[in-house]
Amino acid sequence: MNSIAGPGHAAQSPVPTVVGRPTGAVGKAAEKILVRNLNFYYGENKALKSISVPLYERKVTAFIGPSGCGKSTLLRILNRIYSLYPHQRAEGEVLLDGSNILDPGQDLNLLRARIGMVFQKPTPFPMSIYENIAFGVRLFEKLPRAEIDERVESALRRAAIWDEVKDKLHANGLSLSGGQQQRLCIARTVAIRPEVILLDEPCSALDPISTARIEELIDELKDDYTIAIVTHNMQQAARVSDYTAFMYLGELVEFDTTSKMFTTPGDRRTQDYITGRFG
Amino acid sequence: MDRYRRRRLTNTIILSLSVGATMVGLGWLVLILASLVYQGLSGLSLAVFTEMTPPPGATGGLFNPIIGSLVLTVLAILIGTPIGMLAGTYMAEYGRYANLTVVVRFINDILLSAPSIVIGLFVYEIMVAPMGHFSGWAGAVALALIVIPVVVRTTEDMLALVPKELRESATALGLPRAYVIRHVSYRAARAGIITGVLLAIARISGETAPLLFTALNNQFFSTNLNAPISSLPVVIFQFALSPYADWQKLAWIGALIITFAVLALSIVARALSASGKSS
Amino acid sequence: MVDLALPSSSAAISSSASRIRILARLRVTDAVFRLLTRGAAILVLIILGGVIIALIEGAWPALRTFGLNFLIDERWNPVTEKFGALAPIYGTVVTSFIAMLIAVPLGLLIALFLTELCPMWLRRPIGIAIELLAGIPSIIYGIWGLFVFAPFLQRTLQPALIDWFENVPVLSSLFEGPPYGIGVLTASLILAIMVLPFITSISRDVFEAVPPVLKEAAYGVGCTTWEVARHVVLPYARVGVIGGVMLGLGRALGETMAVTFVIGNAHRISASILAPGTTISATIANEFTEAVGDLYTSALIALGLILFVITFMVLAAARYLLLRLERRVG
Repeated sequence: MNSIAGPGHAAQSPVPTVVGRPTGAVGKAAEKILVRNLNFYYGENKALKSISVPLYERKVTAFIGPSGCGKSTLLRILNRIYSLYPHQRAEGEVLLDGSNILDPGQDLNLLRARIGMVFQKPTPFPMSIYENIAFGVRLFEKLPRAEIDERVESALRRAAIWDEVKDKLHANGLSLSGGQQQRLCIARTVAIRPEVILLDEPCSALDPISTARIEELIDELKDDYTIAIVTHNMQQAARVSDYTAFMYLGELVEFDTTSKMFTTPGDRRTQDYITGRFG
Repeated sequence: MDRYRRRRLTNTIILSLSVGATMVGLGWLVLILASLVYQGLSGLSLAVFTEMTPPPGATGGLFNPIIGSLVLTVLAILIGTPIGMLAGTYMAEYGRYANLTVVVRFINDILLSAPSIVIGLFVYEIMVAPMGHFSGWAGAVALALIVIPVVVRTTEDMLALVPKELRESATALGLPRAYVIRHVSYRAARAGIITGVLLAIARISGETAPLLFTALNNQFFSTNLNAPISSLPVVIFQFALSPYADWQKLAWIGALIITFAVLALSIVARALSASGKSS
Repeated sequence: MVDLALPSSSAAISSSASRIRILARLRVTDAVFRLLTRGAAILVLIILGGVIIALIEGAWPALRTFGLNFLIDERWNPVTEKFGALAPIYGTVVTSFIAMLIAVPLGLLIALFLTELCPMWLRRPIGIAIELLAGIPSIIYGIWGLFVFAPFLQRTLQPALIDWFENVPVLSSLFEGPPYGIGVLTASLILAIMVLPFITSISRDVFEAVPPVLKEAAYGVGCTTWEVARHVVLPYARVGVIGGVMLGLGRALGETMAVTFVIGNAHRISASILAPGTTISATIANEFTEAVGDLYTSALIALGLILFVITFMVLAAARYLLLRLERRVG
């Protein structure tokens, strides 16, 4: 678990403090996703201005900032979920393992199978718990029943919810509590074996105990997945992430290792936000 | 004080009128149902459901019109529901922001309240006249044209109620659009869509005008759809306006049957939509 | 336990290759489904277009023969083949007008009762009862009207009206004539009962949508319930109510079976509303299957065209109003 006091994982791959624009690949961490000069528009309204930021492989990157700063907007570009809405468009480059996902030829379904997303509001499908997981798996792979059972079980174990639901796999997903539903959604995302997981304020609708469990989960998951998390809770960002990006009014103000960001931030605005002067 | 007393008086008068209006409104319902029961119930017997319509002066039943109505209703639903659901799906999903949807919604609402006799004339022109004879098919098509706007409207409304987060989380798993619609949106809106179909059935059960020049009527029992086919509303029309007492009696019995079928369907539809909302 | 960690590179490549295949196949299904839904939506437009075209085509012989005189001619003679739509048009308009005159105030009052006075536990049952009234098929209203309501009116209301207005200078011609029982007034009353549930439901929905804070503000300065309704609720709900009224009017204009039973089917225009008359839909319903000759049939279809145009305009105006309402609120 990262803490503001200790160095933790960050020691392996030092990233210099650069406001807004990180340099190229530095240290041993590879860039799983690289955002370059990203602009985003809701209709005529420019919501993101020239964002450039890396997401390092198997690290947790947190995006913080006041409401309306564009952090969720940015996240939703990474799996191109914004493409569902015709009035929203993006310009620039988002490189996943080197290839630009904003390319019109990009297969969106394939992309979303590689980059999973968990939403703010838990959204179990109107099916049984088992079906919620099996549903996505079955789409991509033709597996015999026993293997699907195994995949469902390991997904639920991975999401730390197996013990609570193993006796009621055929109960409706909506019958679970809020925290359990969110973990079910995480299990669902993990079951189709993505490479990146995007978390959009995953705990904001949950009570503190569920929140703590999900934060533990994130810490385990980062061994295998690249994780990006949007949160309005700074302490949460400090707890779970390796890198933090501070956004304000559609711009990336600062990006750095979490420990550096929260102890000696470079930009005045970052400092003001972190110390609670605004937001 | 005078002005105040006048205001109070006006208030009391208007409010009493409103109570009176409600009693009048409800009174009609009671009167109509009472007449139906009084006139029709006494003649209700097994013979009504097993014997064919008689010539004037003889005894008989309503077997052929009941069967005819069932056949026409089932056909109309089979033809109209898929078209209605597909159109409603386009309007709520693929074409949600399209101009086509705005136009279709407008036109559909007009068709919804259009005089059904005009629909009958239309089907006469496109089916009966070219074919040279009345037919059950024409009757079924006429009823289907009444079913379609109802189903379009309820499907669109129910699908629009599906929360966008649910759609987004299914899309975020990499599921293709048609998959998301068929397996997630439809499932979530299922109760509402079924309610819409039930309401459509209730609506066409009592429709007479569109059948008058399409399916016409048939004295004898027949399931030949290429020929005129009997139906309960048309038989009621014919018998009620006749001068024969036993025909008029059968008309009342038929009216009783239709009314209670329609009321039962409405109650079931209502119970279904209530249970759907509570989940 | 199956390991959900990132698979090794070769497994990753093959699994993504099979994913690509599967997704390519599903893309075809996607495209087909999308086409089907779009086609169905366009079909709705085609249906409306088809109705208009078919009606015009069927009405053409009559329209060509009679021209615009068709609209103002009262004669309706199948033998000499002289047809004029004035009597049915007049009947349609008058019955609907009287029906609205009765149903609108009643409907608004019931909606007022349901939203302001009615105790909570009674609201749903009454609401359900109103909707049941809307669900009763029109032929039931017809048969009830013919055998129960019309004789009743013949014995009670009509003689009374004839007596009351006998000596009133202008209005006596309005209520003249033998009490047939059936006739324009009876048809209008039945139409009023049929339209009442629509106006009530829509008005009730719009009244309920008024933000409580507005009403509370008015109550706070001492307004009576009626004054709140008149100065706050009605103005706020005005557009919705008008939209609902126009929808009801569209219904009334097109109503066939209930009217056919009780209007008396006389192709003439009388000053008295107690006299029999006819409406467009009643004429078509009664005469179409017996119409001999192309011109007769065509004249009836021309009537249908006129009815469709009238209801289309009323319904389009209602939809437009309701659209503006949604845009303002939403």
